[in-house]
Amino acid sequence: MTLGLVVLLFVFYELYVTSWFSARKQTEATERLHDRWKDETPRRMPVKPEDGRGFAQLYIPALGADYRYTVLQGTDQETLAIGPAHYTGTALPGERGNFAVAGHRIGRGAPFGDLDQLRSCDALIVETASQWYVYRVLPMRHEVADWASRGGSSSRGPAKPDAAGGADQRAAETRCKGVAPIGGPYAEVVGRRIVQPHQSEVILPVPGKQGAEVPPERRTRLITLTTCHPRFSAEKRLIVHGVLTKRYPKVSSRPGLRPPELRSPEPGEG
Amino acid sequence: MYAWIWRKLPGATGIKLVEAALLVVVVVALLLFVVFPWIEPTLPFTDPTAGS
Repeated sequence: MTLGLVVLLFVFYELYVTSWFSARKQTEATERLHDRWKDETPRRMPVKPEDGRGFAQLYIPALGADYRYTVLQGTDQETLAIGPAHYTGTALPGERGNFAVAGHRIGRGAPFGDLDQLRSCDALIVETASQWYVYRVLPMRHEVADWASRGGSSSRGPAKPDAAGGADQRAAETRCKGVAPIGGPYAEVVGRRIVQPHQSEVILPVPGKQGAEVPPERRTRLITLTTCHPRFSAEKRLIVHGVLTKRYPKVSSRPGLRPPELRSPEPGEG
Repeated sequence: MYAWIWRKLPGATGIKLVEAALLVVVVVALLLFVVFPWIEPTLPFTDPTAGS
């Protein structure tokens, strides 16, 4: 009985207590980041982030209008307990290559708890000191083959010729503007995949490739989110790949300005 | 074990109840804030990073 109670208490600890701790740390990290952004004069080149400190904010409107996390530098356990963590050495937001971020699926605020819910074209918005970057989830594996013919409409089947279908398709076209299977050396880079924990190649500049195939100045600007899979286990990893579709420079005279993609729900979203 | 603890607690039943509750709180707090954070990194449940 005692052991059972301790195990139950441990589950409670993992799911809730760690989240309380993390919520507080995340709030502190966000406040520090905002203070720093206020002090820094916006620079055009990305500033090299310091280990364990927040340097960007991630918004995923598809997971909630208020979904916002401060992303910190370095994927050690301590940093991951504060929020989504950027793999040191991978690209910075907006850069060519792969901006790779890990986050917990359960406990510690579970920033990536619902990562499996994301559909193709969902916006992954990254705010830095000087820019807004709008990434979008790449087509899923089953959508790749007939992506062009369905007008980028995700999980709605082929576009119908009638008026309603047309409106649907137009909305999806807006949402999916700039999103298409990349192909070539990127053929394996789809919206969502499940990999083994040791498969670190998913965060390479050209995921799955050593990089010789594509010179740095021609690499696609990707985002990669990694978390545990299935939930409550660390047996595998859930990977979401997205591609940069848009960027907006911040206007220092109008700090309240938000990219239109942050409106929720977006056109074409069910 | 629990019966033994109950017998060892001093005082009347009412006081024993309060002491037992206190004991539970202390043990739970010790587990939540000291033991679990300490053993957790050694358990393979929650690592979300690829390549480790």
